[in-house]
Amino acid sequence: MSQVIDMFSLGFMQRALVAATVVCAVAPLAGVFIVQRRAALTGDGIGHVAFAGVGLAFLVGVQPLLGALVLTVLAAIALYRMQRAGLGGDLSLALIFYGGIALGFMFASRAGGGVNTVLGFLFGSPLNLTWGRVGAMVALAAVVLVVVLALYGPLVAIAFDEPAARVSGVPVNGLVLTLTLLVSLTVVGGMYAIGLLLVSAMMVIPVAAAAQLAGSYRTTMLAASAIGAGSAVIGLTVAYVADLAPGASIVLTAIACYALAAGVRDLRARRVSAPLSRTVKA
Amino acid sequence: MTSPVIEFDQVTFGYGRVPVLREVSLRIGAGEFVAIVGGNGSGKTTLMRLGLGLLAPTHGTVRLFGVPVQDFRDWERIGYVPQRAAAESAVPISVEEVVRTGLAGKLGLVRRPGRAERDRIEHVLDLMGVAGVRRHPVNQLSGGQQQRALIARALVTRPRLLVLDEPTTGVDKQARHVLRESLEHLVHVEGVAVSYISHDPEGFAGLTDRVLEVTAGRVVPVDGTQQHSHQGAS
Repeated sequence: MSQVIDMFSLGFMQRALVAATVVCAVAPLAGVFIVQRRAALTGDGIGHVAFAGVGLAFLVGVQPLLGALVLTVLAAIALYRMQRAGLGGDLSLALIFYGGIALGFMFASRAGGGVNTVLGFLFGSPLNLTWGRVGAMVALAAVVLVVVLALYGPLVAIAFDEPAARVSGVPVNGLVLTLTLLVSLTVVGGMYAIGLLLVSAMMVIPVAAAAQLAGSYRTTMLAASAIGAGSAVIGLTVAYVADLAPGASIVLTAIACYALAAGVRDLRARRVSAPLSRTVKA
Repeated sequence: MTSPVIEFDQVTFGYGRVPVLREVSLRIGAGEFVAIVGGNGSGKTTLMRLGLGLLAPTHGTVRLFGVPVQDFRDWERIGYVPQRAAAESAVPISVEEVVRTGLAGKLGLVRRPGRAERDRIEHVLDLMGVAGVRRHPVNQLSGGQQQRALIARALVTRPRLLVLDEPTTGVDKQARHVLRESLEHLVHVEGVAVSYISHDPEGFAGLTDRVLEVTAGRVVPVDGTQQHSHQGAS
């Protein structure tokens, strides 16, 4: 217990907790819309392009965050245009995914340090953060939060039923592009804390967990955000105590939350159906 | 006929090289209840998707309230209920939230519903008999309740044309009866034109002004109802 209390007094753990909690609380707010649109792997595809962005940044000598941001925004636009041109959702995502990983490997190799240079970005290194990087992550998360809150109604409309939203006059194309850009910002915002390959999990798994028990969109979003933040705190604590990889520990904690929520839902369903079956037998 | 709320003028459409509709002319007037029938893949849903601007015709013109559909902006006058949208929801969404999404176009990007909009939501929830389940996740309701929730969403902007695509699929007999009563009220009391797509319109016999069949790329009247195709007078 004292080990856990000590953890909160350590500067590097404080920075890790702030960064991971903010990222994991905000990621599901963008994620709920891509889950609803059955495009849950969008973040994963864009994460691979961010990997290419980091490799490019090393190659040309700029901040990794900048490289990742530029390439993921371009990828978001390319993905949107491919999907609107009629290329199926999974095929366009596959092109982005494989293109990203190939470019990333090429840039990293050319940069001289090989893939080891960018491994930390793939799986996150929250214990090595500066307050400057934490600030950048919080700023990106704030942008995502503000846009989601401002466009909440239209985003729910396009996520639930795009054709009906279009017929009711919602500017669907612009909103789909905006949503894809939000996913890009979330991925880039989480790359230091959770890692490019794992941050998209925090857009999806907390939403899947919350959807097991929630009864409305609003409660799903709030619960998913709370599960994301809780997974960050618990995951980092477990990682600190048991000397585990922090990003992986956070994602596995979120998966445990999903399993727990699914179990509770099944238990509820059995309790509802049990009296019915007894009535039928009587 | 009263002035048309939707009008097809010599409309032709195909998916790639596969023709679906050929030189279709059709008008639906205010307050009319028109059933559009046809087998699977006959093009009845395509017809209405063209009418709503979700597809662009290869040739010909579609007008909504006299305005070419590509220039039409007054979308709150149209209500649309696509096939089985609610049952497939991956994220729980309550009935009230579903109805609220119908206002997204009218409100614009950032405006929240005001008092008038909230009152209208209450009205359509009552009208469609789903006020009692407003906080329930829509995908956990019966097929009939889901359809009524979706119709409530389509009605929230006070549309003058309501397009329903297979609203009775997966709906039991009693729920069809409730749906029929609701639509009867809309047509006769509120004067809403209804375009109703179904492979089986029998549940609405006596309510429809016209039944049109989409077959072999043409739209033809059924059972002696009046024809509004390119061959005949309207």
